[in-house]
Amino acid sequence: MTTVNNNHYDVIVIGGGITGAGTARDCAMRGLKVLLVERHDFSTGATGRNHGLMHSGARYAVTDHESAKECIQENMILRKIAKHCVEETDGLFITLPEDDINFQATFVQKCTEAGISAEIIDPKQAILMEPSVNPELIGAVKVPDASIDPFRLTMANVLDAQLHGAEVLVYHEVIDVIIEQDRMVGVKLRNNHNGETLDAYATVTVNAAGIWGALIAQMAGVKINMFPAKGSLLIFGHRVNHMVINRCRKPANADILVPDDAVCVIGTTSLRIPIEECDDMRVTPEEVEELLAEGMKLAPSLGSTRILRGYAGVRPLVASDDDPSGRSISRGIVTLDHEKRDGLAGFITITGGKMMTYRLMAEEVTNLVCQKLNINKSCETATTPLPGSEPKEETKRFSFSQKAAQGRHGTLNDTIERGEAANDALVCECEGVSVGEVRYAVTKLHVHNLINLRRRTRVGMGTCQGELCACRAAGVMCNDDKSAQKAINDLNGFINERWKGMQPVAWGDNLAEAQLTATIYQSLLGVDKLANERRIEYYEI
Amino acid sequence: MKFDIIIIGGGLSGLTAGIALAEAGKDVALVSAGQSSLHFGSGSLDLLGCDEKGNDIYKPLDAIKAVNSKHQYNKLEDVSSLAGVAKQLLERAGIATTGNITSNHWRITPIGGLMPTWLSMEGMATIEDPDQMPWRKVALVNIINYLDFPTKFLASGLRDKGVEVDVKAVSLPELQKLRQSPTEMRSSNIAKVIESNELIVKLAEEVYKVAGEGYDMVLLPAVLGMTNSEKSQQLLKLIKVPARYVATLPPSVPGVRMQTMLRKRFTALGGTFFTGDQVTEGLFEDNILKGVKTAKLDGTTLEADNFILATGSFMSRGLKADYNRVYEPALGVDVDDLGLDRKTWAKIDVTDAQPYMEMGVKTDENLRCMRNGTTISNLFAVGSILSGHNSIKRLDAGGVDMLTALQVANNIIK
Repeated sequence: MTTVNNNHYDVIVIGGGITGAGTARDCAMRGLKVLLVERHDFSTGATGRNHGLMHSGARYAVTDHESAKECIQENMILRKIAKHCVEETDGLFITLPEDDINFQATFVQKCTEAGISAEIIDPKQAILMEPSVNPELIGAVKVPDASIDPFRLTMANVLDAQLHGAEVLVYHEVIDVIIEQDRMVGVKLRNNHNGETLDAYATVTVNAAGIWGALIAQMAGVKINMFPAKGSLLIFGHRVNHMVINRCRKPANADILVPDDAVCVIGTTSLRIPIEECDDMRVTPEEVEELLAEGMKLAPSLGSTRILRGYAGVRPLVASDDDPSGRSISRGIVTLDHEKRDGLAGFITITGGKMMTYRLMAEEVTNLVCQKLNINKSCETATTPLPGSEPKEETKRFSFSQKAAQGRHGTLNDTIERGEAANDALVCECEGVSVGEVRYAVTKLHVHNLINLRRRTRVGMGTCQGELCACRAAGVMCNDDKSAQKAINDLNGFINERWKGMQPVAWGDNLAEAQLTATIYQSLLGVDKLANERRIEYYEI
Repeated sequence: MKFDIIIIGGGLSGLTAGIALAEAGKDVALVSAGQSSLHFGSGSLDLLGCDEKGNDIYKPLDAIKAVNSKHQYNKLEDVSSLAGVAKQLLERAGIATTGNITSNHWRITPIGGLMPTWLSMEGMATIEDPDQMPWRKVALVNIINYLDFPTKFLASGLRDKGVEVDVKAVSLPELQKLRQSPTEMRSSNIAKVIESNELIVKLAEEVYKVAGEGYDMVLLPAVLGMTNSEKSQQLLKLIKVPARYVATLPPSVPGVRMQTMLRKRFTALGGTFFTGDQVTEGLFEDNILKGVKTAKLDGTTLEADNFILATGSFMSRGLKADYNRVYEPALGVDVDDLGLDRKTWAKIDVTDAQPYMEMGVKTDENLRCMRNGTTISNLFAVGSILSGHNSIKRLDAGGVDMLTALQVANNIIK
């Protein structure tokens, strides 16, 4: 049996979502010897399947004061430490004729109590500020909502963890835990690329696997009551709104529209599903209908805007420990010290919470880890900028692709090789991704396939959904005949994965685009015939 | 304005019908939006490449006899003779091809696959028998920094078939300018730069330098000759060793060339070409189409005795789908949506036969369109807009385009 570097770690963090990445960063910054493991790619779970909304906390102000306060505090922190992941758009909470306008006053008061600036705007003024908003609105409140790129944010946390000495294994799945007497001492890992297994040992193991954390706990003989709640969202082909638009009422389905980069996202629906379905979630026609109908109430022009794709994520809702019926759901951060709770030392679960509060979750769990390790070092993640967001004089950028890459990688953009025609050639015209940026992502950002590359660079995320860029990128990524066959399989998988999101919304321009893609990839290239493996990673939305 | 025949759509099917009718002495006008699916093509036309199971077809004529009853090939009177006429029509337009209807040959795809096909434009690399590669040692010569000719895949695909492959790349100072702008290294731009005899000679020398000795075939990206085949043929001769072209990622220079040459042939025969325009409305009286209005010819009605709808499938916007229905946007003729609800138009696995691919306008046995269930006696449909075939799965796009167009031309002339 092999072990990772024959080494013993202070802490193993399970899960490459934003919580795991943030925890790995915090632990590493406090001088711990860290191993971060992820069964697929970074941000494949809930982290990569939400609105990309940086909540001001206003959404929770009326129903959950504590969450609202946490949100606004973290919101202000992320603006400083993750500048290159955040777009400061501001948000509106609108009241429509069908809503109760009296709710607005309560809303503003509760926002203020939580420390969220909430300014009542005249509806006419609101239309001038955000021309896409439903012109029938009867009330509007401006709050400091913003847009955030979760892929970028996760990667920046991983990069910083690595800079502080953390080791990272992607495509390594925990298949069992190693328990000696009443202590968890490590995990058994399977390399999902080649099937090899290996052991890794640590004093403390942190379970940050989102909804899948219930399964990790199960391996350790510990029960966590989790309720997977599926949320579906739709991405539109261009940016209809430039401010976040919410409904000013108690949180409900499909009432948030977020501008992200060149697109916008409406969501979400909410549906309890069995945990077995979490690995292959599909957006249903009924969900598409609901999202469209509700979305058009926020911004009527969504009705005539092309939908690029649909996708679904799953919220890791946790039942409160003090409720034996399991019905009372905790919306806040849940840190479970299994030593105290279940008599299993060396094992901690961090769950609940939301993307917005990932840093706080990481801080809380790292505090507990340090306590177990008798380390007395304070958390610095709230004040230390993430890689890419360090203060630095703006370099002048001239080309579209340089500007696009600057947006994606922040100050790290300077490490992308440029100047030579061979590096500057454009792989993806929609998103301005150069050969140099692809190479940078492959060597520095744990890119193993085209879908990983998409998460790091946005290749194939534009309106064409990978029409030509996927083939070009695959060409850049492969080096020899052996990798050529792998790249063809990868290309085939990528095309199918893009289709997974398009299929639920296959009408209008999408259907035309789908036929064109099929003409190019199947009739012209014959990629489906050349692929010798039909493994389609359904979890890889 | 009054014509004998008005054709809507300027792609392969519309131009084929237009040329055939103009050659028969008819006064033909063609309204075209401009783009054609030829621009996404391979430089070859497929007739029937794959059987129901996806296996390659070697003898297409036999396979055509066995196509299912909904396939448009059933409406052709004599497939074999129409196929011969198609080849000659291309020839007269200056488009020489290899291939025939009795046996498919194989084209090399841009990522190194082999696909069965019917007619290949001159200069394209073709293979008679996919189980027996004709070359022992091949040089793949790309243009430096041109990303749309994925040589690594091509080399790997050819090596899998037992061919020894070396990958080379050449450039010319004149291409440096393109290279400086990262969006410019695309096939059509390269074709525009390498136009003069002088540059063709220089390029041939560069290719000969890297691949002149020891190879029994030199394969090049098909990026020369947007308007005629002169330059691309000249380069092959100048290289002095056997050399052929392989299709690139779109835009397809051979495809653009084919459309350009067909259009030239059509206008040389006296055809009228309204370009960059589209039909917005049909003027029907009883079961006859009297005329059409277009977006650009403000108020003018184009009248004709017969009309041909050749606007292509969804990707060409000849068919449109909205939230609830599939429709034909130009004239509002009846569409066969296979009786399917939107939720079942598309299947979950992209490589499955997708039901929407087989949707298209309804026609009678003479390829005449219908409106509200009634046949329009002087309105025909040709090409990809027709229902009943899946050109992605069966590889029959070129054949459906050209042969239905020729059949309709015959039906009208009769």
